[in-house]
Amino acid sequence: MALLPIRFERRLTYTRTAAILTTILAILLAFGAVAILFIILGLDVAAAFQTILNVFITPRLFFQAVVRGVPITLAALGLAIAFRMNFWNIGAEGQIYMGAFASTGIVLAHIYYGFLPEVLVLPTMFLTAFLAGGAWCLLPAVLKAKLNVNEILTTLMMNFIAILWVAYLIYGPWRDPEGFGFPLSIPFPDYAKFLFIAGNQAYTGFTITLIVAALIYLLFRYGKLGFELTVIGQSLDAARYAGINIAKAIVLGAFLSGGLAGIGGLSILSGIIGRLRPDLSPGYGYTAIIVSFLAALNPWLIVPAGIFFGGLFTAGEALQATLKIPGAAVEMFQSIIFIFIIFGEFLKRYRIVVGGGGSGG
Amino acid sequence: MVEWLESVLAGAVQMGTVYLLASLGEIYAERSGILNLGLEGIMIMGAALSFLFTIAYGHLTALILVVIVGMLLSLILAVMAVSLRLNQVVVGLALTLFGIGMSGFLTHPTIRGSVLLHLNPDLPETALIIQEAPKLPEIPIPGLADIPLIGPVLFKHNILVYLALILSFVMWFILFKTRIGLSLRSVGENPAMADALGVNVALVRYLATLVGGALGALAGAYLFIGFQPFWVEGMTAGRGFISLALVILATWNPLRAILGSLLFGGVEVIQFRLQLIGLGAQAPQFVLMLPYIVTIVALSLLSFESVKKRIGVPAALGIPYSREEV
Repeated sequence: MALLPIRFERRLTYTRTAAILTTILAILLAFGAVAILFIILGLDVAAAFQTILNVFITPRLFFQAVVRGVPITLAALGLAIAFRMNFWNIGAEGQIYMGAFASTGIVLAHIYYGFLPEVLVLPTMFLTAFLAGGAWCLLPAVLKAKLNVNEILTTLMMNFIAILWVAYLIYGPWRDPEGFGFPLSIPFPDYAKFLFIAGNQAYTGFTITLIVAALIYLLFRYGKLGFELTVIGQSLDAARYAGINIAKAIVLGAFLSGGLAGIGGLSILSGIIGRLRPDLSPGYGYTAIIVSFLAALNPWLIVPAGIFFGGLFTAGEALQATLKIPGAAVEMFQSIIFIFIIFGEFLKRYRIVVGGGGSGG
Repeated sequence: MVEWLESVLAGAVQMGTVYLLASLGEIYAERSGILNLGLEGIMIMGAALSFLFTIAYGHLTALILVVIVGMLLSLILAVMAVSLRLNQVVVGLALTLFGIGMSGFLTHPTIRGSVLLHLNPDLPETALIIQEAPKLPEIPIPGLADIPLIGPVLFKHNILVYLALILSFVMWFILFKTRIGLSLRSVGENPAMADALGVNVALVRYLATLVGGALGALAGAYLFIGFQPFWVEGMTAGRGFISLALVILATWNPLRAILGSLLFGGVEVIQFRLQLIGLGAQAPQFVLMLPYIVTIVALSLLSFESVKKRIGVPAALGIPYSREEV
């Protein structure tokens, strides 16, 4: 059945070193592909790559990379839960928007109606952002668990709805009355923002990602739910045989997954932009998909991978400002990395044998 | 009243053609067992490139080139999903993200000029900065186009609308009434059996995926030069994904896809209408949510049905096939 005289033999094992090398190779190949495209279009490749490198060696820019990496990392940690159980949550972007919506709601309720004392505002925002993000993943999860409706399509559709909902609020009732008509909410007060340490918010955000990564690690290492989700991901039949309540586990896992993306939404407002905006995320929820795969769903690896992609977004802004390279270049670059990572997955799993014949069977 | 109905129905046919072209191709891909989640990306690339190619070379060449690019993009999916047996969901998503990023990059005002000059060095300065391209001409069918109601609804469109309708019938016939169609369906139902009967599983899946890519890109091209020839970044706005849902609603049947495309085309037309009569003037966002809500509701209702009647999903959909690893 092969079209070419090549066969693939499944590898029985692969070493951790091989996995790391494959990942680095994937990123290098992506750089190569982008370089070729830039050369064809007459763009300054050397200057572009220098700009990207600068982000990771200049402290001021690196802090920005970390700050942008926080929502990506949080969403990716959530996705890691969903992907472990083969629940294809493509809705992190919408869940981020719902988290941002809910946390803004708390701020507005506090300012206009004196709801809650100041110290409780930020903790309540965390809670509501988590619940809102989780709730946004709930409908697709229930439809999947009860009716076997394709969750890829439903989570995606929910993204469009969430983004339109936030747009409605920000162009309508939640627009800052003193904002000269711009689609922005009122700025968040300091007690609704992440703590500034030494002049920036990177430390606070980074600490939160580490705590969440640790929790996810513990969930899958020791948690009953984590075990159930892993079994469901590997084989539904095995899960049924083991007496796992599959519907309940899927719904719980999906809720956690969306909830973490919701906190990611909060981290954009409280940790980066300081108010609600209709374009609050440049696609962090989609980037999170790539990040969770780059890290092979390992929570500890998701943290540095998230910072790396946060750095790409930071570099994207610099590229736009200095070299007039559009922001979409970052999205394109990320997707090319993704394609090579997937290809690397193949190299990890199979050995290529040239020449047909051979054992067979 | 008749005039109103006429324009709504004609609009549904025109808007629906985007969905029809994309879902026809996807039906073939899925019938062979390949789920192409890259459809959204292929569609947006089709739209973006039809913009660039039309300015550089005119309509006909643009359409041919767009179809070729669509096939090349789906070839990536075919190689990775069929030959390398990688997860189709992940590969498809990567392709969609690639299409969205690449289309935005190539059409961005700072890049577009140099892309266009590469395509055609003789373009005048003004062609490098315009946001629009000439629309495909309408070709009314002589005689038929003048029939009241039916004429404007069915016989007063551009070439791609006719093509989509004709293709639905041709593709239905091939799928259900010919040997080729039988091979295609058997590969998606039971590849091991098809293989044993001498069908080249990989070849069938490659070809079906390429058909899907070609029509997906054509759907994007139609959206731009056939429907709304003004470039907006990300203008497909999830229509590729809605087409994937439509394939399920059409139960993988090209003729039922016509009905599904009219449904989603109709929803979008009603959306425009509601905005015209002032509904949602204050908050257009709720009206804009309609297609996405309809998609979720339709998928859920269908699942109720399929639980009862067991509507046939191709059994091997999304599952890689290898003779050695069955």
